[in-house]
Amino acid sequence: MATFSTLAYFPITIKVSRIRASYDPNKKSLNNIKINGTLTKSTAKLDMASTLTSISVTENGYISEQQVRQNIPTTKQFVDHYRQGMIIEGGVGYRQRVVIRSYEVGPDKTATLESILNLLQETALNHVWMSGLLSDGFGATHGMMKHDLIWVVSRMQVQVDHYPIWGEVLEIDTWVGASGKNGMRRDWLIRSEATGHVFARATSTWVMMNRKTRRLSKMPEDVRAEIAPWFIKKQAITEDIVEKIVKLNSQAKYMNNDLKPKRSDLDMNHHVNNVKYVRWMLETIPDKILEAHQLTSIILEYRRECGSSDIVQSLCQPDEDGILKDEVKQENDGSHINGFSLAAEILEGNGYLASFGKQPLRYTHLLQIDEESKNEEIVRGRTTWKKKSFSH
Amino acid sequence: MMKLSCNAVDQIHGGAQCRFLGPHKTYCAAPRRKVSILPWGSGKKRRAEIVAVVSDRGAVPGRVEPMTLADRLRQGSLAEDGKSYRECFIVRSYEVGMNKTATVETIANLLQEVGCNHAQVVGFSTDGFATTTTMRKLHLIWVTARMHIEVYKYPAWSDVVEIETWCQGEGRIGTRRDWILKDYATGQVIGRATSKWVMMNQDTRRLQKVSDDVREEHLVFAPRELRLAFPESNNSSLKKIAKLEDPAEYTRLGLVPRRADLDMNQHVNNVTYIGWVLESMPQEVIDTHELQTITLDYRRECQQDDVVDSLTNVEHVKNAEANLDSRGANGSPAATENHDYRQFLHLLRISGDGSEINRGRTVWRKKPAR
Repeated sequence: MATFSTLAYFPITIKVSRIRASYDPNKKSLNNIKINGTLTKSTAKLDMASTLTSISVTENGYISEQQVRQNIPTTKQFVDHYRQGMIIEGGVGYRQRVVIRSYEVGPDKTATLESILNLLQETALNHVWMSGLLSDGFGATHGMMKHDLIWVVSRMQVQVDHYPIWGEVLEIDTWVGASGKNGMRRDWLIRSEATGHVFARATSTWVMMNRKTRRLSKMPEDVRAEIAPWFIKKQAITEDIVEKIVKLNSQAKYMNNDLKPKRSDLDMNHHVNNVKYVRWMLETIPDKILEAHQLTSIILEYRRECGSSDIVQSLCQPDEDGILKDEVKQENDGSHINGFSLAAEILEGNGYLASFGKQPLRYTHLLQIDEESKNEEIVRGRTTWKKKSFSH
Repeated sequence: MMKLSCNAVDQIHGGAQCRFLGPHKTYCAAPRRKVSILPWGSGKKRRAEIVAVVSDRGAVPGRVEPMTLADRLRQGSLAEDGKSYRECFIVRSYEVGMNKTATVETIANLLQEVGCNHAQVVGFSTDGFATTTTMRKLHLIWVTARMHIEVYKYPAWSDVVEIETWCQGEGRIGTRRDWILKDYATGQVIGRATSKWVMMNQDTRRLQKVSDDVREEHLVFAPRELRLAFPESNNSSLKKIAKLEDPAEYTRLGLVPRRADLDMNQHVNNVTYIGWVLESMPQEVIDTHELQTITLDYRRECQQDDVVDSLTNVEHVKNAEANLDSRGANGSPAATENHDYRQFLHLLRISGDGSEINRGRTVWRKKPAR
């Protein structure tokens, strides 16, 4: 059945690709995601196929050529030697073995958050590849192609307990589940292959959108038939209360203006890759804080895409936890200690930052397109940081 | 000793594959765990177990990062004579760029990765510097002097690329590392690269001649006879790069290295420079052409506080030879520029005082019609 539909659509999609050169499907704002009222609840279903890159997806025609070139399987695969992946969870999940490469590691000698996000995207796509449902390089299934539907990520949450180092071998598990009636959830677990310890966990929610009308869509029955068999209830992260992310304004403590996408930030559709948003967001935090802390959690709410010619503004606001917010400014200024006895910590050589207690730092982020008339939100974020333990 | 390590690696590869295809461990059966911080202790212990293997090879355990499981389960392997190293990579979805194929940065990253892995497998330091024991004693490190990459066919997402690499001496002050890239499925050569490295004292930052001790340590693993990725005479990997003349035709000013551009040794990653060079390329060339060749001469390091300007000029080629390489379709020498190939001269310099960071040359070929 799957094979038949592939052949049937092959010639059609190739023809379409020639015309589609300037089609820019992702410009439409995602603000109309509020189907049932609350933003986060309704936008969860992720298309198995469309992983993190789906926001920039939609190269329909190329996909078909790609399908032929890449030998995208049309039946379920169980093991893939080159991907080092295999199907698990009673036949619906996917596990891949990954070795951290030298260029994925940052100045603190551990894998960067970007690298981890990239690996999540990769394993998600490989999952769909293995399932035999993959129709294009971005995750749409055959049924979705038929309905001109694409997956769009609306929310992403990642918790990292431990960052792997160069050469470390990981096992990444991923699976999908239902999210509301029309969306999909995709979860991941990243583990050390050697010890089995969980290094990180992540969850994401996806909605389906019609590529042409840019309107959110219910899940058609044939698509449901394709992907529902893969849904399981297991969750990597459970939250009782979904935290609302506040929208920042120009009063934000840290701001970076005039951010322009570099050539290397753009993906196949000339859109900024989702993972690059995170880079912009984190760059806005002063280096001194980044050097001394590691990110333990990040929540992203995607609103709309950024194109190659957009100019972006990044805002960042630390949580007002009393003294905590002033600690960087006062780092070198010994006179404003606010009455705390810092002698012990300072003697230990940890500086003022250590002395302000064990509370994690939390920030709210906003990326928006800088336009004269208005600022369009690209993504909102929430990050949590903890002090690094300096072992090197 | 070389033979022994080859076999060990192969045995372990075989073992690794069997293990992988066996019944999977049921880690996922664990219920949702509480978010917990992995104690450093457990990590350290694992690493300590493996340090012993490294010290057998003569590396200094204290200065070198211990070998991880990845070393033993590495997908790459030394050739039978031990003189070169080969590894396969599958192109990942996020490594694919605007052209729907792997970007030149991805290629450069993979070259760096396979170079590092080669160094690791033969026992050089794994702190990213690939130094020998003697070098470490004398505080010497390798620094890149020139990098030259030619790509004939960019791999697409999920293609498997096989990269072979080897190292050789280069005169009195340097060493070279060469690479050949092949499409694993067809065996076709899709790219070649060569790089020249010089030895520098880490403390004084001055260049130093390669002493005989270092040469011997290093060249045990080099092919006995000269083996070049670019054996043809007068090939473009040897051409000098002139300094671009002011004012430049195309510029992108004010580039700033951020924390994300730093590698594990806190230097601006070599591959970041490639990105900066391409920043000042005119959009119409990027839209219609793809990068065939890039040559970069590294002159000075860029520090985290520097602000960098990227400048580009068209390089007018007077004689036919420079414009045509063995892959060019055009056989007749032409005095004027051939618009299927475009050539550019680049300069990266510090914004303030104008000191040169890199000089570069790029050659672009027209994209194949879709």
